[in-house]
Amino acid sequence: MPMRSSRLATLILIVVACIVAAPLLAGAQTPKRGGTLRVSYGNEIAHLDFHTAPGYEMMWVAMNVGCGLVNITPDGKFVGDAAELWHTSPDGLLYTFKLRKNVLFHDGTPVDAAAVKFSIDRLMDPATKSGMRSFYDSVHSVEVLDPASVQIRLKQPYAFMLHMLAAYRTGLVLYSPTATQKYTLEDRKQGKPEAVVGCGPFKLVEWVKGGQLVMERFDKYFVPGLPYLDRVVIRVIKDPVTEMAAFKAGEIDFIASFSPDHVETLKAQNPRAQIMTGKETTPMLAAMKVTVPKDGKPMSRDRAPHPVFGDLRVRKAIGCYGIDRKEIVKIAFQGHATPWVGMNPPGTLDTVDVNYLCPYDQAKARALLAEAGYGPGKPLTFELMTNTEKSVFSVIATVIKEQMARVGVTANIRLVDKVSWMNTTLNDGPWDMYVEDLLSLITLDSNAYLSNSTSTWTHPRHNDKRTDELYARYARELDAAKRKAIAREIQEFFVENMYWNNISGSPFYMVAQPWMKGYVYNAEFEVHYDRVWLDK
Amino acid sequence: MRVYVLRRLLGIVPTVLMITFVVFVMMRSVPGDPVVALLGDAYDEQDAIKVRASYGLDQPILVQYAIWLGKLARGDWGVSYMTGRPVLKDVLVRLPVTLELIVLSMAVALAIAVPAAIIGALRQNTWADYTATTIAMIGVSIPEFFIGVLLLLVFSIGLGGLLPSSGWTYLPGTCPTMVCGASLWGNAQHVLLPAIALGVGRAAILTRLLRASMLEVIRTEYVTTARAKGLSERPVVLKHALKNALIPTVTVMGLQVGFLIGGAIVVETLFAMPGLGTFGIDAIIARDYQQVQGFALLTALAFVVMNLVVDLTYTFLDPRIRYA
Repeated sequence: MPMRSSRLATLILIVVACIVAAPLLAGAQTPKRGGTLRVSYGNEIAHLDFHTAPGYEMMWVAMNVGCGLVNITPDGKFVGDAAELWHTSPDGLLYTFKLRKNVLFHDGTPVDAAAVKFSIDRLMDPATKSGMRSFYDSVHSVEVLDPASVQIRLKQPYAFMLHMLAAYRTGLVLYSPTATQKYTLEDRKQGKPEAVVGCGPFKLVEWVKGGQLVMERFDKYFVPGLPYLDRVVIRVIKDPVTEMAAFKAGEIDFIASFSPDHVETLKAQNPRAQIMTGKETTPMLAAMKVTVPKDGKPMSRDRAPHPVFGDLRVRKAIGCYGIDRKEIVKIAFQGHATPWVGMNPPGTLDTVDVNYLCPYDQAKARALLAEAGYGPGKPLTFELMTNTEKSVFSVIATVIKEQMARVGVTANIRLVDKVSWMNTTLNDGPWDMYVEDLLSLITLDSNAYLSNSTSTWTHPRHNDKRTDELYARYARELDAAKRKAIAREIQEFFVENMYWNNISGSPFYMVAQPWMKGYVYNAEFEVHYDRVWLDK
Repeated sequence: MRVYVLRRLLGIVPTVLMITFVVFVMMRSVPGDPVVALLGDAYDEQDAIKVRASYGLDQPILVQYAIWLGKLARGDWGVSYMTGRPVLKDVLVRLPVTLELIVLSMAVALAIAVPAAIIGALRQNTWADYTATTIAMIGVSIPEFFIGVLLLLVFSIGLGGLLPSSGWTYLPGTCPTMVCGASLWGNAQHVLLPAIALGVGRAAILTRLLRASMLEVIRTEYVTTARAKGLSERPVVLKHALKNALIPTVTVMGLQVGFLIGGAIVVETLFAMPGLGTFGIDAIIARDYQQVQGFALLTALAFVVMNLVVDLTYTFLDPRIRYA
């Protein structure tokens, strides 16, 4: 009998505990309003004209102060932002967007079709000098159908129109025409809050370069109840050790981009930290220069083969067979990256594994070098440039140097700072090979401006028009299956010609405190704080 | 005295001009183009040429320098290529942070150096002396960033966030931002670790110097006379010996300001402080020539003015010194 009553008491206790705990448990997952999210950036924001400023740091502000037409989810689905609905004509030439009715800019003016036209026209205007301009090459015009409907007319079909509007660099960030016309470019660059007027969940309160950037909740944001946070404060902490100390001490809630070198240390120090990452979308490459100006004038159209890497046999010997990608990943990334020959990293749309095209093969590398006339009698020496932006670049360069020595080649490392690297590569300066990870790629199409034959950003300066033709076919093909086949063709073509020498993916990490909830990781492409809340 | 000060102030002009000219030429000799950094993803050769011309960067260096000087004479320190902000406004916003860091790190240095040097000199060749000189030697040998990281590990991580690891809280009334929460206590918490990191190295140098100076002074006849007159050890050391021993130390303190500004770049970067050091390094990395010039001008001015103040301090320490 006592036994039975004891069991009964336990049962009652369990039931009562469940009844009491249920709302608490449910409550823990119910977003809470209020609080300040403290974010750390590893680099300074260049300036705050969203249409022209370089760098991810600016973009991650633009995505929260600004709104666009559409966004993209981590699984590649498009969701409406200021646009409620959209429709593509069967020939792929007309994109019609129906705008939500209650969307306002932070200055109180409505986000209407005219505002959309104003922003896209501004981006396409050469005078704006926007890095986004080349992505709008397919756009013929933007037409206002009615205040709530806008139509983008294309010159030719563009399969990645929505990707581009959602996530190529900042994606489309709508600017208030009133504020943009009233204030100058300098006002926006300086970050004057009245000049930087978007329609996102947060409005800019202040930006003190070297100090902090503060955004506050926009009460008239078009999604009811959002954002949950009252305020977001962004600070720049360049040193990863200091960043880790600040995180450990609870001074920051979110590290927007964390150095891969320190992830293991951070994990050990903060077992409860949320470490977010995904398949790599950034390529780590050891680019080789293919042509040089024949007349010695940088950017000249009259080109001659590069003295070393102008020869495809040398490019293949060094870049394809002479580099042990697995070893680089093991040493430089402690195994936290994917050895990858294809120009599209593993996390990019339409990526293809073409590693089989370049197996590490010292004998083959030596044979090709011998065929090109290099050997003990005529040793090959080249310069391997890298920059100080990320420590991993130097590590990779050092491993490549060692691997080159194994095939009888001398690689002399030249370490420069980022601006010098940009200056040399963009201005067709003298370089042989460099190690860098350039930028994150959501689609293969977004890589065109880094690798076709005409772009200033195609550092190797290959002048192979076939690349342009392949990219154009890829971008215009509306059938996804056929597009995938072209994507394979492009990636194989680039490897076969070594116009793009990929080493691996470059891992990207974000780190959040355990109390930061609601953040959806989508690499560098979409960094939104509107659904973030603080459980503390 | 007034004539001397005036002469020294006039002497500042050629010194500062020379420094700014050297920096001007050096920055333009360093590989890298501000227009590349400015245009970023939108870089295009034709646009770059236009932008370069719009900033006068296509002019000969001497012409560019003359234009910069001309503007400076009118109180215009130029405008940042990157942000479009007036340089003078930016450096003045950053100056108080660095000034506070430098003053406090010098205070830390003196707080360590003076007692350590006195003990070392009065108890020469004892364990106290050996300890002081050994610590001084270690202090000189360890770079600021290493001390800074150690302090971070101990006070920000090890002791459960006793002191903040980074950032800044302004002193009340000095906040250049709208949202900053200025407070004296918050400021003290934020400045303590950086000031120690920067001050320890200077303390070590001053300790060695002051100890040697004290050893020399305490053997002089007037100190022996003071003792013979029956003065207790305290006034003998503090009033007679220390004051005279401080003269060479004060000279070195003036020169140390230059090192402190250099060290501030490292310490401010490590502790993510919004001071002139981080401003300078960001400007150099971005090749923002206008900001670099502003940084160089201000630091050069700070250095020469500080040395003038040091020279004037001699008259206080030794009334026999007269400037004419």
